[in-house]
Amino acid sequence: MNLYNIIFYLFAAITLVSAFFVVTTRNVIYSAFNLLLTFFGVAGIYVLLGADFLAVVQIIVYVGGILILLLFGVMLTNKIVNVQIRTGATQILPATIAVGAFSGILISLLVNTEWKKVGTALPGASTTANLGMLMMNEYILIFELLGILLLVALIGAATIARK
Amino acid sequence: MGILELAIITIVKILIVLTLVLLTVAYLVYFERKISAWIQNRIGPNRVGYLGLLQPFADVLKLLLKEDIVPTVSNHPLHALAPMIALFVAFSTYAVIPMGPTITLFGWQIPLAVADINMGILYVLAITSLGVYAITFAGWSSGSKYSLLGGIRSSAQMISYEISMGFSVGGVVLLASSLRPIAIVEAQSGLMWNAFIQPIGFITFLVAAFAETNRLPFDLPEAEPELVGGYHTEYSSMKFAAFFLAEYANMIISSALIVTLYLGGWQIPFIERLNLPVGLTVALQVGAFCFKLAVLLFFFIWVRWSIPRFRYDQLMSLGWKVMFPLSLLNIIWVAILIMVFKI
Amino acid sequence: MELKYLFNSLPYIKPELILAASLVIIVVADLIITKKKELLHYIALAGIIAAGYFVLEQFSMNAFAFSSSGNKGMLTVDSMGAFFKGLVLTASFFVFLFSFSSNEINESRSKLGEYYALLFGMILGMFFMISASDLILVYVSMELVSLSSYVLAGITKQSLRNSEASLKYLIYGAVSSGIMLFGISLIFGITGSTNLYEINYILRSPETNRVILLLAGLLVFTGIGYKISAAPFHFWTPDVYEGAPITITAFLSVASKSAGFVLLIRFIKVAFIQNSLNGYWQLLPAVDWKTILLVLSILTMTLGNFAALWQDNLKRMLAYSSIAHAGYMLAAMAVLSNQGLIAILIYFAIYLFMNLGAFFVVMLISNKIGSEEIDNFDGLGYASPFLGVSFAIFLVSLTGLPPTAGFIGKLYIFIALVDAKMFLLSVIMVLNSVVSLYYYMRVLKHLFLRKAEGAPIELKVSFPNAVVLLMLVIPVLVLGLYFTPLVEFAKNSISVLGF
Repeated sequence: MNLYNIIFYLFAAITLVSAFFVVTTRNVIYSAFNLLLTFFGVAGIYVLLGADFLAVVQIIVYVGGILILLLFGVMLTNKIVNVQIRTGATQILPATIAVGAFSGILISLLVNTEWKKVGTALPGASTTANLGMLMMNEYILIFELLGILLLVALIGAATIARK
Repeated sequence: MGILELAIITIVKILIVLTLVLLTVAYLVYFERKISAWIQNRIGPNRVGYLGLLQPFADVLKLLLKEDIVPTVSNHPLHALAPMIALFVAFSTYAVIPMGPTITLFGWQIPLAVADINMGILYVLAITSLGVYAITFAGWSSGSKYSLLGGIRSSAQMISYEISMGFSVGGVVLLASSLRPIAIVEAQSGLMWNAFIQPIGFITFLVAAFAETNRLPFDLPEAEPELVGGYHTEYSSMKFAAFFLAEYANMIISSALIVTLYLGGWQIPFIERLNLPVGLTVALQVGAFCFKLAVLLFFFIWVRWSIPRFRYDQLMSLGWKVMFPLSLLNIIWVAILIMVFKI
Repeated sequence: MELKYLFNSLPYIKPELILAASLVIIVVADLIITKKKELLHYIALAGIIAAGYFVLEQFSMNAFAFSSSGNKGMLTVDSMGAFFKGLVLTASFFVFLFSFSSNEINESRSKLGEYYALLFGMILGMFFMISASDLILVYVSMELVSLSSYVLAGITKQSLRNSEASLKYLIYGAVSSGIMLFGISLIFGITGSTNLYEINYILRSPETNRVILLLAGLLVFTGIGYKISAAPFHFWTPDVYEGAPITITAFLSVASKSAGFVLLIRFIKVAFIQNSLNGYWQLLPAVDWKTILLVLSILTMTLGNFAALWQDNLKRMLAYSSIAHAGYMLAAMAVLSNQGLIAILIYFAIYLFMNLGAFFVVMLISNKIGSEEIDNFDGLGYASPFLGVSFAIFLVSLTGLPPTAGFIGKLYIFIALVDAKMFLLSVIMVLNSVVSLYYYMRVLKHLFLRKAEGAPIELKVSFPNAVVLLMLVIPVLVLGLYFTPLVEFAKNSISVLGF
């Protein structure tokens, strides 16, 4: 067990434990807070995999943007309308069986499958420049299409917000 | 350099930076009061020590000894967590700010920044984006409507201005073609300061920095006439002090960032032509960094005591309808500079 | 910096460029034009026609665009793609014409700009779905279609059911695209590629793990099945079709479905087919798509038809009927042969006219009476014989009775099934058609054999609407008798690049 592994298991544990609490906590605010930790854990794993740019973007976008909006929604509805938002669980037995079966399948596949290995070495000093080059060359179409996607999302959001 | 040595050097650097920041914060408060007094034609604090110079310590002592009141309706864990997040965010950002060139000490190459990472600028943006949590949690967990309103106002404000902040930084990154703060400083050698090359970006970043730190004219989250005290209405004693500390620490970090990104960092233009000894050059450069920082901090205080507060809708429309397009314009301007003038 | 990928490929995406430009033009025009919003209708139509011109060009093309390494590109331009792009454009053309006189759209005129902008976003997404041969592009384009349709389903926001439609669509869509993304990630995990052609190449090696491919294939199919509303991923369809403005419902039922089908065809044919023998496709041993498609098609058509029996709302009934039609086309897909592919193409071309026609008549009537409940349609066949007769023609065609075009569509699917000796499926299909006869004829019974209560309602069809209706009725009738050109056209359009 070297340092790398210890750090990996640390981040994996953070991710999993907090994700577990996201689902099981009955208070939505606590769920959101745990989700924060989950995102951090995932970002840490990204760093370990040498995807530093992705890790930082993960934090900026998910933690700094999406989760905050989520919290906004919860806080505004919870306090102002005076409706207690609580999550509950129904149909626990069938859900447990289904989840158990599915995770069983996934784990057995995970272990038994020969995954494709695309280079085992960590990428060099900075991934940002390479990512940029890929986006402007090989994946230019996706990049531009995402631009249109965001424009459409923006128009859509404005449409919904407008009376 | 082994991992042990690295750890020791880093810890020493962290301690130095932490002490410096705490001291600066303490005296920043003192100067804020002095400058405000000066602007308003008063005298200001002058009782504790010579010219009131020991005033900050008296303040800290007072806050420490006060009773910590936690409202019964509040959400205790989050209520306690919020000021910690605020402090964490405020201090961890200093890690990547370079205060001087790389120096050689006892045979080690030591960059004068706690951490010299490739993602430096993105790291700063990511960490500052976490600052919203402190305010949101503080506002929500207090269980008071003033706090909640203040918290939500400030989060909306910070998110809106983060966007133009990020886009303004985009111009800087384009010119330096790196996200490393040290590389960005080095790219501004001579008089190639970004403040001169891309003035629009400089201005948008400066304004966004005011908004991000919740300083006047953007201090709506704590607008006293409307919200009592904003998100920290229900805080007292050291927890209140933590928010206070974080606010001033944020002010320093914003100024340091502006210096690094737009004012050439530690660089003094054309100092290499004087052929000074290395040690003196480094000392002068660190001094230059501190001087630029001080000027900006003075500017922050000056603005606070000169300009009235915005109305909330004005603030939002300024953020989205003026700042955002301007920062986009800045990126286009920089792109033209690079493509056409080959800077 | 080199942008050679972009510049080399621009000639292949002319229609898409036109569509993207139209989107932007409409957004800007909406900003400038403050009084006469009607102009937007014409701008939108012009955009469609211009894109159509460049789609015609693509029938003769057979090329990869945006190829990164070697010759396998992200985008394939081939005649099957062109055929379906033509279909999508025709459907959009008619839907735009419907929008002129739809009450629902006219009542929220201030949103006309957004309406068309989102529609163009959707068409653009469909175009990329049709020609995508890379899983990343597949996902992004599907998201583009989904995002625009979520908003469009609730754009009028006048009634609760409108918002309900939008929200349900969003929730189901988000879940299914998440599942699909997981499937894509599994495929990438095994093959290390997102390009369908390269995936095919890698899957040919014998040591691939079949269980995980089956799982990944099914997960990806969830996303596609959601788009074509195949059972068991159809739950959203009735609610969304009922709640959305009727122009959007019509568009979803034809265009969205056809884009989903092309994706399915391409996904299976490019990634999972070994070679083609006498027009029959040999599957790679990896996933047994034949059985999967067979089971799903039986499930889909039976479920759609039986659920339609109990529907009193016409939009809801047509929603279930569209599920059933997806089932028929899945049956043709299950044949896995060129014959089946031809049948799908023919069926879609006919389905476009008859389904849009049925929705158009429902729209015209409900514009007047403000309801789509079948009981409110009593005796309306006599109020406007022209509308009544056209509706009858569309319904007969949807059932698949001669001499209408619907019969030809079903016939070709039937031929393909019998040719492949899939008798059980063909018998089930015929039985299903019999069931469908009941609920289609029930509408006609209400239209012609029931007496209207209260004062007779005057139904007048304006001249432009009559022209549009004729443009839909005439193909349904003509293609029922003189269908050789369509069949020839379909035969010439089945070439999928690389096979």
